[in-house]
Amino acid sequence: MTSAISGPTPRASCIVGVGHTDWAEDYRRVRAGEKPEDSYGYAVRAFRRALDDAGLGRQDIDGLIVGPTLATERMGEILNINPRWAGQADAVQAILQAVMAIESGMAECIALVYGNDQRSARVQYGGPQAAGGAAFLSYVYHSPWGLTSQGALYAMMFQRYRDLCGIDGDDLGQVAVAQRAWACLNPEAIMRKPITAEDYLAAPFIAEPLRLHDYCLINDGGVALILCSAERARRAAGTPVHVCGVGRSDLNVRATSLGPRLLEFYRPAQKAAAERSYAMAGLGPEDMDAVYVYDSFSPHVFFALEGFGYCPEGDAAGFIRRRGIGPGGGLPVNTGGGHLSESYMQGWNHQVEAVRQLRGGLGARQVPGCRHVHYCSDVAGKAMSLIYGI
Amino acid sequence: MSEGVRLFSPYDGPMWDSVAEGALRLQRCDECGAFRYPPGPACPECLAMESCWTAISGRARLIAWTVFHRQYLPAYAPPVLVVAVQLEEGPLMVSNMPPESRNGLRLDAPLEVFYDRHPDGYALPRFRLAGQPPTSGLPAAAQD
Repeated sequence: MTSAISGPTPRASCIVGVGHTDWAEDYRRVRAGEKPEDSYGYAVRAFRRALDDAGLGRQDIDGLIVGPTLATERMGEILNINPRWAGQADAVQAILQAVMAIESGMAECIALVYGNDQRSARVQYGGPQAAGGAAFLSYVYHSPWGLTSQGALYAMMFQRYRDLCGIDGDDLGQVAVAQRAWACLNPEAIMRKPITAEDYLAAPFIAEPLRLHDYCLINDGGVALILCSAERARRAAGTPVHVCGVGRSDLNVRATSLGPRLLEFYRPAQKAAAERSYAMAGLGPEDMDAVYVYDSFSPHVFFALEGFGYCPEGDAAGFIRRRGIGPGGGLPVNTGGGHLSESYMQGWNHQVEAVRQLRGGLGARQVPGCRHVHYCSDVAGKAMSLIYGI
Repeated sequence: MSEGVRLFSPYDGPMWDSVAEGALRLQRCDECGAFRYPPGPACPECLAMESCWTAISGRARLIAWTVFHRQYLPAYAPPVLVVAVQLEEGPLMVSNMPPESRNGLRLDAPLEVFYDRHPDGYALPRFRLAGQPPTSGLPAAAQD
């Protein structure tokens, strides 16, 4: 696989620090009616831990990228950082931007900070005013007909997929069960009570064919990552995790009326993003020791395994049954528990878990011999692919 | 003019007016003839900005569906059968069907439009299985 368009240099940038808030404790407190922090507060807490993890000080940070719920200006004020380069982005785009800034010399050591008080602030992901509607009109446009919530969009997508492939919809439960099993091995995860396939089927439908456990958590929290050049990483603490490959491909055409979602299952974008990242890394799906999938809803995992090259189209249910994606399985997926069971940090917590697996030493949850991992997402047709290695 | 429906852009207005008249019209590009949905300022196919509002046949096929078992919107108590259809003219459209038609659904099933009243008062294009007796809907004389 080659690309005519050149991209960033493989392994030129690395993650040297990760930090996050106490998701489970804050979940408990918010449910009890408390408001531990606002979005900036969670971000600061995560940033302090990421700096410590990296063995760096604030004076080392010369670039700042904030998540979509924060403003760079206010975040910089709170952190007392006047960066020479700054931006705002979602999790994976933030990493892409940091890689480009490091490569082009705009910054050398960049803090990526995310905080979200979505549960305590009762952020709405459904309804005519749903979050994200300005960028993704499909989130709000169909409310006169009763269609709202991003989960319902995945319900329709999975319904069509299921009938086209002739599979049993109950197979989807493998995702929630496997990720919960991972979460049970993760002391940071919010949901740590095991569930079985029977528990999955006994839970109510929300937007049929999706059931309760197909939906992600909604919780407060924050995550921070510190990225720097590979050269600069030699002076940081710990094992740097290199960004080996990146790729992005968007499907906007006919998106509001759900064309790329329902007629293509986002496959062209997933394929293009995957190929770019594999080519840059000089690796393929067979080289990946673990896979991280943005899983606001469990069908994401089915579509990602097919679209990003792990199994043929229509074969995800059979692939998962044969290979296994849970602890001890042939292809570990979302080893922290993901958005379904660990924490809903909109892709940011997956980066933390990916780094930790590559660093090693996670006990029962450790993927043996973990050297390369893949993060992929396809939120509303924006396919992203990131390959990390040590 | 319909009441209560939120216009996400100024281009939505004429469409909802046509729904209130009981005959959904969509923009059709003057340049290349493509039908456009949702309404917008330019033809995504050829970027031409001129279009005329053209009635649809009302025939469609079923692309996907979901049943809401939980209430999200005040107007819609569960169960709500939401569908994505492909209009004969080409565009995909999200709509809904009477929940009792759920057991007759299959991919590509032929559908036809009918006009009903949203609980908030405005007219709404909905779909039913083609050739089935009308379940509900506005009598023609009652349409705005």
